[in-house]
Amino acid sequence: MTILPTLKSLTIAAAILASTSAFALAKDVTISVWAGGTGPNDTYRLDAIEIAAQQLQREAALKGEDLKITVEKKPYSAWEDFKQALTLAAEAKTAPNIVVSGHEDIAPWSQSGLIVPIEDYVDLDSWPLNGIYENLLKIASYNGTVYGIPQDAESRPMFFWKPYMKAIGYSDADLDALPQNVQDGKYTMKNLLEDAKKMQDRGLVQPGYGFYPRTSNGPDYWQFYTSFGGTMEEGGKLVFDKAAMTRTYQFFADAVKSGVTKKNHIGMPGDQWWKEVATGKAGIWDGGTWHYARLVNQEGLTDFFGNVIFTLIPAGEGGKANTLTHPLVYLLTAGHDKEETDIAAQLITIASEPRINALHAVKSAHLGISEAESEVDFYSADRWTREATERLLPHANAMPNNSDFGTYWNIMWKNLEASWTGAKTVDAAIGDAESELKSTLGDKIVIR
Amino acid sequence: MKSSRTLGLVMIAPAAVMIVLFFLMPVVLTAVFSMTNMTTATGISGGVYQIAPNSLITLKSAMPEIAAEMAEPRYTIDEAGLKAVEGLGLAPAIAAELRAKHAGEVFATRRDVERMIKDLTERPSTREVKQISEQFNRSVLNTRFDSKEQLFSSLDGLGFKLTPEQKETVAKTTYTGWTWTTDNFSRMASSPDMARVLFNTVLYVALVLMLFNVGYALLLAIWTHYMPPTRASIFRGIWLLPRITPVVIYVMLWKWLAWDSGFISILMGRFGYPPKNYLLDTAYNAWFFVVLINGFIGASMGMLVFSSAMKAIPKSQFYASEVDGASRWQQIRYIILPQMRWPILFVTCYQTLSLLASFNEILLATNGGPGNATEVWALSAYHTALRNYAGNLEYGLGAAMALVLVVIGVVLSLLYLRVFNYGTLVAKPLIED
Repeated sequence: MTILPTLKSLTIAAAILASTSAFALAKDVTISVWAGGTGPNDTYRLDAIEIAAQQLQREAALKGEDLKITVEKKPYSAWEDFKQALTLAAEAKTAPNIVVSGHEDIAPWSQSGLIVPIEDYVDLDSWPLNGIYENLLKIASYNGTVYGIPQDAESRPMFFWKPYMKAIGYSDADLDALPQNVQDGKYTMKNLLEDAKKMQDRGLVQPGYGFYPRTSNGPDYWQFYTSFGGTMEEGGKLVFDKAAMTRTYQFFADAVKSGVTKKNHIGMPGDQWWKEVATGKAGIWDGGTWHYARLVNQEGLTDFFGNVIFTLIPAGEGGKANTLTHPLVYLLTAGHDKEETDIAAQLITIASEPRINALHAVKSAHLGISEAESEVDFYSADRWTREATERLLPHANAMPNNSDFGTYWNIMWKNLEASWTGAKTVDAAIGDAESELKSTLGDKIVIR
Repeated sequence: MKSSRTLGLVMIAPAAVMIVLFFLMPVVLTAVFSMTNMTTATGISGGVYQIAPNSLITLKSAMPEIAAEMAEPRYTIDEAGLKAVEGLGLAPAIAAELRAKHAGEVFATRRDVERMIKDLTERPSTREVKQISEQFNRSVLNTRFDSKEQLFSSLDGLGFKLTPEQKETVAKTTYTGWTWTTDNFSRMASSPDMARVLFNTVLYVALVLMLFNVGYALLLAIWTHYMPPTRASIFRGIWLLPRITPVVIYVMLWKWLAWDSGFISILMGRFGYPPKNYLLDTAYNAWFFVVLINGFIGASMGMLVFSSAMKAIPKSQFYASEVDGASRWQQIRYIILPQMRWPILFVTCYQTLSLLASFNEILLATNGGPGNATEVWALSAYHTALRNYAGNLEYGLGAAMALVLVVIGVVLSLLYLRVFNYGTLVAKPLIED
């Protein structure tokens, strides 16, 4: 045996060893992310994670790690399908790593163990997470633990078609003062119904188009309950304020009775509704800040500010002007390898950086999540995000994170729809809601 | 003969396995789920024990002092924790500095203790900070325990002096999973909405069945019976179209016909009527369309069964009646209808059961609206258990509702078998083994 073959085999052995150590450093990770309620303007909910992955890969490379992250994205346009798919997938242990959903899901999903607290993985004291608005972070928490990172903020204003408001007697100065008058409680729900009626009586809009609210169930309807003095939760317990809920149901029943809202409004095709509000077929309607993006990008309402004025939801009897913020949150699901979840958490952190989040805010007309974001020129130069943030966000409340809120919501909605369409009288609907809440939630809800 | 019996059993085995897996098991599972309070919040696979601020609200009324004590989160820099940190395999300076500067300190929240850890000279990474802080956690708050024993031993370890009864109360209020209950059935019995949904279901089945699946199907069969064969085949073929069209497309066509921007609105617009959503305009309209949509699909099956049954009536009976001068009506009255008893019973039976369980056409057309006016039992069970905006899926209640349908179906089947006189239909052959 000469020295050469020995050297050769030693070299080969070294090469093999070296290659295995290289393999040991190389890491291939697939992070899947699903987002609900995601239309063509909301793609950065998913894309931001992809951008974050590129950043994390670069950071890993500098530390000498060969990290390769593949991001699998799945948008769901509707909420019902998304929540059904996600809960069933999670029960079957095939949930994605990251979920973008409404904050109200945190309570039931954390209780059933579908999600894990994000504060177990991230440092909330470092940038960019330490810059997120404190109230948004609170909305993303449950039981004193931060479960999610707010992905966006929004609010749900009332919109008025300016030309019709002028036609029924509002001057430019009146219209400029309208947001403040609504905020001060000088312009109320009663005025809103009167104006809607005037628009119809003058033939500006067709019957049923004076007040043209959301066509399906949604968080918007809780704003009306707040408008009429209702409280959703107090001291950790849900609250069903019978008087406030009666006034809320009655408001929609009255709108139908006076002919400013259609009896068959709920369940109408969404596309038709969008087209109608974008073309001035409707007089007054409610919606989300994100409606701006759709009206301008998809529905062709190019001169938005020339045609539309937006305010808080006016006060009703016994309540105050308000709006509701319904942040979507990035959540980490349970059942994954700890290291994978750790990477997912880092991606969420990077995706929350002001510049990246501003892409989503501006494209989708949602509101920013941090003070720093409003200082990004790209964000602050956008008239809509700037005005909406200033006018609405300081007055925003949120739905409670309570694992029984979904049950309350279902019962509230079912009976609102029934009184709206005349299937039940308002009193009967309130009575049915009360008895069902009592039998279902027992002492978990305060009825007063 | 015995061997042929064994062979028969072997041959039927795959089918038997299928029946057990796909027919029997779902019913058994539905029955099991229906006796639980399973929801999205409780999960399906079972729960854990978690002393969370939320559950402490309930506990507060039963044992206020203990609840208040449990509510206190505590992070204590003690020797046990320091030892544990040493065992983590991190930089030794970390534990040393903690011992030297912070031993004995107590922090109220995890964030506080983590802030202190991050200020150490040897600043650990976020992941390490989390690992270190966990070693000093001396609170049960928000920790998830897989079993009661783990919960109790943790409570004992933290010095809570609880009687066995108190422990059981704590376990009961902090359990996050589902429990056995019969509440679903009492909820169904007491809810006015359930009564309404039940009424809707009876109305839906009765209307579609009488007007279309049997009535109109019989009419079609009789019409085509008196038509020349080719024309009759074309006619029957057309009536099969709703059945073979994909249901989503079929319902979309109806929607296009009946919506504000649809055909009826455009047509009526020519006569000066403002456009409106005819499909959801009123509860009556919605019912009208729901019955039509389902009826047009369902009529074809009865038509085929009745047509073939009529073909089996000996032609001589018709010839003889014509010789006697019988009118068409008399032929129908005295020849056809009496001999259609069994096919009519069969179609009624079969279609009742399928209508009871069908809801996809209603889901697509009205989704139970307006104002739940067309919400039938099967659709309501689906909405409850699997699909709603709030994402609050009530598996237990939904299963209980589905079970009611199963029971109604079984009872009706038995009733129909009796009416059919199933015994004579499957009478033993005269040649026996």
